[in-house]
Amino acid sequence: MSTLGVIEGGWEFVWGAYGVSAAVLLLYALWVHTRYRAERARAEREALGSPPPYAGEG
Amino acid sequence: MLSSPPVEGGGAWRGYVLGALGLLLLVWGSYWGLFLAPAESYMGDVQRIMYVHVPTAWNAMLALSFAFCCALVFLLRGGWGWDCRLEAGMEVGVVLSTLLCMQGAIWAKPTWGVWWDWDPRLTTTAVLVFAFAGILALRRFVDDPVKRAVWSSVAAIVAFVDVPIVYFSVKWWNSLHQLQSTPETVSGAFHWPLRINAFGMLFLMSGLIVLRARTLALRLRGELGPPLPEPGRAAAALPLEAVR
Repeated sequence: MSTLGVIEGGWEFVWGAYGVSAAVLLLYALWVHTRYRAERARAEREALGSPPPYAGEG
Repeated sequence: MLSSPPVEGGGAWRGYVLGALGLLLLVWGSYWGLFLAPAESYMGDVQRIMYVHVPTAWNAMLALSFAFCCALVFLLRGGWGWDCRLEAGMEVGVVLSTLLCMQGAIWAKPTWGVWWDWDPRLTTTAVLVFAFAGILALRRFVDDPVKRAVWSSVAAIVAFVDVPIVYFSVKWWNSLHQLQSTPETVSGAFHWPLRINAFGMLFLMSGLIVLRARTLALRLRGELGPPLPEPGRAAAALPLEAVR
């Protein structure tokens, strides 16, 4: 930083903010997609009346 | 009398289209903000964080406002769909508010010299995150869907009181955080990347809410699936409708 109240540099903070934003948004979007697919598969299994994959095991 | 539980009527593609459009706009706006827009006179390149921080703030407040509206509609008119949208709105709002705090901390370090300060804007935002995250967490502990929906709607309305406090905190108290900017106080060179990212975040947020609401509707259908809950229990007389 200079003595004139002007911030110099700081690109590491800029990349940090954009990197964190991209990571959080992409990971959350991926999680939302995964949850949707899983819930949809479960609903389709129930609609067909088929038992869940683990039924009868053990 | 209770109607059928919410059903998955398709339409998740809207969520994917909105989300994809949002991501494309965010990439475009961020590229403009990072490489094409000029550096600000005093904050220099650090100001480029604004292009992602401010859209996140706007859309976090918008998602929580949407959740508030869903809670009101649920309590006034009923409908399982509104409960699903309420949870989806709160969840996306919490994710964006948490991200907002992280971006703010990264901006605070080079400009204020600290990662965090118990400044009114930061404190009220932290309270907001914990309040809505708490409601989401407690929803997991209530097994009765009707009680859970009514209880969390009331709690969301109470927690929403903090949203206008967050917005006005920089005006009401002596805050380290800068006042809200307007198009008149921001140079025209900064407008486009900010607007593109704001719409990008809006589309992404909407897509995520649509997909989460669909997922929650499917889960609720599994929860409520035959036999339906007995009528006559607390708030069971609400005219609950199917998700369209």
